[in-house]
Amino acid sequence: MNPTVSVSHLSKSFGSVHAVEDVSFEVFPGEIFGLLGPNGAGKTTTIRMMLDIFKPDRGEVSLLGGKMDEHKKDRIGYLPEERGLYKDLKLEPTLIFLATLKGLDEKTARARLTDWLKRLDLYDHRFKKISELSKGMQQKAQVIATLVHEPDLIVIDEPFSGLDPVNTRLVEEIIREQQAAGKTLIMSTHQMYQVEQLCSRIALIDKGRVVLYGQVDQIKREFAGNAVAVKGQGNFEGIPGVLETRRVNGDYHMALAPGAGPQDVFRALAARPDVKIERFEIAEASLDDIFITVVKGKEAAHA
Amino acid sequence: MRKLLRIARHEYIKVAGKRSFIISTIGFPLFFIAVMAFSIFMAVGSEDSRPLGVVDEAGVLAANVAPTERANGDKLVEVRRFADEAAAQAALRQGDIQAYYLLPAGYLSGDTVRLYYWDKTPATVTQRDFDYYLRANLVASLSAEVRERALAGPVVTARSADGQQEISGDGFLNFLLPFGIGFFFLIAVMSGGGYLLQAVTDEKENRTVEVMTTSVSPNQLIFGKALGLIAVALTQLLILLIVIVVGLAVGARFVDALQELRMPWPLLLIIVAFFLPSYTLIAGMMIAVGAAVTELRQGQQIVGALNMLFTLPYFFVIVFFTAPNSPLATLLTLFPTTAFITITMRWGMSTIPAWQIIASWLILVLSSVGMIWAAARVFRAGMLLYGQRLNFKAMLRAIGARAG
Repeated sequence: MNPTVSVSHLSKSFGSVHAVEDVSFEVFPGEIFGLLGPNGAGKTTTIRMMLDIFKPDRGEVSLLGGKMDEHKKDRIGYLPEERGLYKDLKLEPTLIFLATLKGLDEKTARARLTDWLKRLDLYDHRFKKISELSKGMQQKAQVIATLVHEPDLIVIDEPFSGLDPVNTRLVEEIIREQQAAGKTLIMSTHQMYQVEQLCSRIALIDKGRVVLYGQVDQIKREFAGNAVAVKGQGNFEGIPGVLETRRVNGDYHMALAPGAGPQDVFRALAARPDVKIERFEIAEASLDDIFITVVKGKEAAHA
Repeated sequence: MRKLLRIARHEYIKVAGKRSFIISTIGFPLFFIAVMAFSIFMAVGSEDSRPLGVVDEAGVLAANVAPTERANGDKLVEVRRFADEAAAQAALRQGDIQAYYLLPAGYLSGDTVRLYYWDKTPATVTQRDFDYYLRANLVASLSAEVRERALAGPVVTARSADGQQEISGDGFLNFLLPFGIGFFFLIAVMSGGGYLLQAVTDEKENRTVEVMTTSVSPNQLIFGKALGLIAVALTQLLILLIVIVVGLAVGARFVDALQELRMPWPLLLIIVAFFLPSYTLIAGMMIAVGAAVTELRQGQQIVGALNMLFTLPYFFVIVFFTAPNSPLATLLTLFPTTAFITITMRWGMSTIPAWQIIASWLILVLSSVGMIWAAARVFRAGMLLYGQRLNFKAMLRAIGARAG
């Protein structure tokens, strides 16, 4: 199957800062691909190069079967990380304008927008200025602008920012619908939970480089045993082989450093007089754990 | 092309739909009309229609010469003759007359005419009516032909050697209009240019530009924006011109002086022809500056300097008065940023050679199209350097680089 998007060996520097270095990945038709990494990792720069907003210093991008051109722009929906809407204009005319720039005629745009606005609870606010809408409403408006022209390739950068749980679920549902309709989605986020819920494959970017790339299930299998859940009392900080400890439903959830096994952690805990263990089990590594293992583990190795 | 026009329409509605725009565009001419109407009302309303008196101690008034109207049909105020000053004073006290003139015995040998009034001087038009009355009396003994010429007074028409242009004594509109239009042009430059600068930097700051560039090409975006704003400026110009033409036509019904004005159509044509590319040039400059800077404040400083390029002719206004065809005037005529104001100012003062007008227009059109094109290139380069200011060298490099 030919990839919808193919990014190979992209690099980009701003002055002396290497924002993206040698990033490669492929995205296939009908999948939701997760581009994840900590803030400032180079996700947005990669997306901007992919969409021809920036020119890369090196590397190639092929999307929808070749280089970016003006006709392809009508087949792409892009939701930028920061809300890209005119603040002092009214909601509906702005959305109609943006839709017509994607090749829709005004009548079609208006008809489709009515449905979208109603579905996302924005219909009653359609004549309000965008600056008068809440952050969550603006984000939903941006989602509409991204999807109204029914693009084949949808690129969404931090789509859940500013949304409450109800709207987060609504947008998740919309993303799944788009996938079911055969669209290709690339989602950039630093929220691992959403990626686990939605994405089939991911590329994890850290400091401008791809540090992890592949199927979510497979990655999770590879990192099985890289997390433990402990119930008990006492001080669970500063345990050798543990990169991060956090509380999950009253348990201590620990992400392990690369090379550290659950046995090592168990021994270390047993040896500590200030800790009382009630339960110890090997947990399924979440993407969060894997993220911490890869990103922090690398930092620890460099230290 | 369709997307370009959509952007143009969007920009047009965005600006022309603003309350501040509507107020300034409609409000300014309305204010102009209101001031004009008020002054006409004051002039007409305050005019005293009571007769004037005259005491002829010099014996210069001819018998039975009492004109009631001018050659063009304008009514004259009635002038009553009094045998002596005491009778005239009594009539003034009674309020029968508004004032009286005394022609002293030594009038013909140099004594001046004296005017007596109660508390208000007669209106200028009323005084002019008396001048006419007196002249009509003084020339009464001459032949009809000479009498008419003498009463009409001199009207000088200066015509250029090649016959292209003429300046007549009453052509003050030729002289005044360029200044008015030049002033309007500067206001349009500052407000429109300032708006474009803000639009471009805003879009960069709120990232709308990312959505735009993934929908349209930089050229469509920049040309569309420029076109929309030019349409806005043209609307303003049109409204202003309509107000001037209609205002003068209506005003002429009430104010005699305006009747003699003729519309300087060739000048209006020049104004429209030069206004468009001049405005495009500014639009291009503003977009380039907006694209190169990261925040509005930086841009405003640069724009302040750029505006100087357009106001330059006002510093040389003395040159246009004293030597309207000097090399400096020619240079300012040909230079694209100064062409518009220089040409409109020189128009009222001398004849501009046709080759200069044509050359200036061609240079202006070429540089304005070039500027918009360059602006699109700078815009693209500015995008690449998100968050960093584009220095002048990089700007030039972007303009010189091959498309892509």
